Amino acid sequence: MNAIEIRNLRRVYRATIGTLRRHIREVVALDGISLEVRPGELFGLLGPNGAGKTTTVKILTTLLIPTGGQASILGFDVVGQADRVRPRIGFIFGGERGLYWRLSACDNLRYFADLYHMDPDRSRRRIDELLELVGLLGREDEKVEGYSRGMRQRLHVARALLHDPEVLFLDEPTMGLDPVGARELRQVIRDLKGQGKTIFLTTHYMFEADALCDRIAVINHGRIVALDTPERLKGYVRDLRVIELEVFGIAPPVIDQVRALPTVDAVSVEDFEQKQILLVQSPQGSELIPEILRLLDTARVGKVVVREPTLEDAYVRLVGGDRGLAQVD
Amino acid sequence: MQGLIANLRIFLSGAVLSYVALFRWFEPIRYVASKIILPLNQILFFTLLGTFATGPQTASFYAIGNALQVAAISGIYGVTMSVGGERWEGTLIYLFGSPANRFFLFFGRAFVHIVDGILGVVMGLAWAALLLGVDLSQADPLAMALVILITTASTCGLGLLMGAVSLVALDTFFVNNMVYFLLLVFSGANVPLQNFPEAVRTFSYMLPLTRGILATRQIVAGASLAEVAPSLLGEAFIGALYLALGYSLFKSFEYFAKRRGRLEAM
Ligand SMILES: Nc1ncnc2c1ncn2[C@@H]1O[C@H](COP(=O)(O)OP(=O)(O)OP(=O)(O)O)[C@@H](O)[C@H]1O
Ligand SMILES: [Mg+2]
Repeated sequence: MNAIEIRNLRRVYRATIGTLRRHIREVVALDGISLEVRPGELFGLLGPNGAGKTTTVKILTTLLIPTGGQASILGFDVVGQADRVRPRIGFIFGGERGLYWRLSACDNLRYFADLYHMDPDRSRRRIDELLELVGLLGREDEKVEGYSRGMRQRLHVARALLHDPEVLFLDEPTMGLDPVGARELRQVIRDLKGQGKTIFLTTHYMFEADALCDRIAVINHGRIVALDTPERLKGYVRDLRVIELEVFGIAPPVIDQVRALPTVDAVSVEDFEQKQILLVQSPQGSELIPEILRLLDTARVGKVVVREPTLEDAYVRLVGGDRGLAQVD
Repeated sequence: MQGLIANLRIFLSGAVLSYVALFRWFEPIRYVASKIILPLNQILFFTLLGTFATGPQTASFYAIGNALQVAAISGIYGVTMSVGGERWEGTLIYLFGSPANRFFLFFGRAFVHIVDGILGVVMGLAWAALLLGVDLSQADPLAMALVILITTASTCGLGLLMGAVSLVALDTFFVNNMVYFLLLVFSGANVPLQNFPEAVRTFSYMLPLTRGILATRQIVAGASLAEVAPSLLGEAFIGALYLALGYSLFKSFEYFAKRRGRLEAM
């Protein structure tokens, strides 16, 4: 039996627009996705903003009813058998809300332990273990309102693990963490996988998916555009080269011109303070540089490098480029 | 059995923790101060206003009515905020994603406010006796205890309904104020029910507090428990009715929020 099974899942939101003359617009957040996650697998759902990642996780965690299709966790339907699903899953949605800020970490955990019907002896031991695991031991009696964002996020991780769920959903768990905190959390995630948990993770960060996941589904506009192991996803771009150009002030029309070059596959731009990095994917390598430079003619150009493609480049190609991808640590 | 204990735990810890968690003023000194001062304000204001308008012989009418009305401070504002406040904390997705029994989750939110409300009413009656010369010596203590308990609890029942409404309506303060003032006017705390037209009186009897206030006045005047029993039962029934309505609204809120994707809407 699969840990997670999704069949043709669809979700349409109806958003009302305008205050006086209201009308309804439909947003197709999930446009028929299907996938399976095996027990013990660490599965990544990767996609740009608005791709439908959180929507997927909400449906799987019984917090949102799909418009169409089915999903089941450990064989239990997330709509019809939500009561059977809930005790078996744990979840966190990135960010720091969702805790009682006036309570201490310990009281927060105690309360959620009660909600999961844990008996007090077990929960006491478990809470100590988890505080240790997420590195909050020693601060557990302080009110959450005095915590840093990272500490709150780690408390969420402890909360999600309280009842020792078999399947874990982590929606952008490292969002907002500093590089060290993010690395520590990734180690926690690896350890959980080591304990045999099934983990469903969403992220914007390709390198994070690469470092953690057994398989990755890339989602864009509510559709799965690729689903494979990180290694095989890299194969998607094996025959390409990536030209990285450091530019200072580049106009969008110029980017479009570069994208329109016949041998160019995908173009993306990363914005930094004063400069941008233009990433051009093409089967051609350095032969293409003069042509690009000619188009860039008015912009100041710094360093130019040709390199082997990474998984991130595969991702950029799959989701169509042009988004400024978040920086990696 | 095991299930019952687990549910009781949800009820009790939810009761205490949600109370502490959602109330910024939960600090011992401020708490005690508010418990002593608020009833005093309520009673003095309306009794002075009332006796100014109608003469000193009515002081007892206003003092008792408003002592009971104090129950609505905890019962309406307190309870509504502990249900509606979950939205501001962003905890709804975690509550509704848990297997916790929804009834105990919901009902637990009112529990401490019942205790709170009882303290407020007792304090209010104490002020009434001390400052306004209300004579409590004729009152049957058991009947008095019951009327305070039942009236406070039934007011919290309406609070739970309003809490569920505020989840749906996304607005706690408007809802709170409206209901509080409805009670202030129509519960008979400050206006004798016989002054209302028939239709309004019917409405008054659909509110919690109304029968409790009537019964308290009777008890203070020396009525026995048996004499006020019908009012007490009526009050309890009204409270249970609002609780039931509140709970079904809470359940349907969960369902529709999950259907529309509005669990986190603010
Ligand atoms: N409650 C809602 N009401 C209306 N539209 C919504 C709602 N929630 C999400 N959407 C829309 O559905 C689409 C998918 O949103 P979703 O939150 O699933 O994306 P995501 O992949 O998690 O994005 P991000 O990376 O920014 O978190 C978006 O277009 C979003 O605007
Ligand atoms: Mg998201």
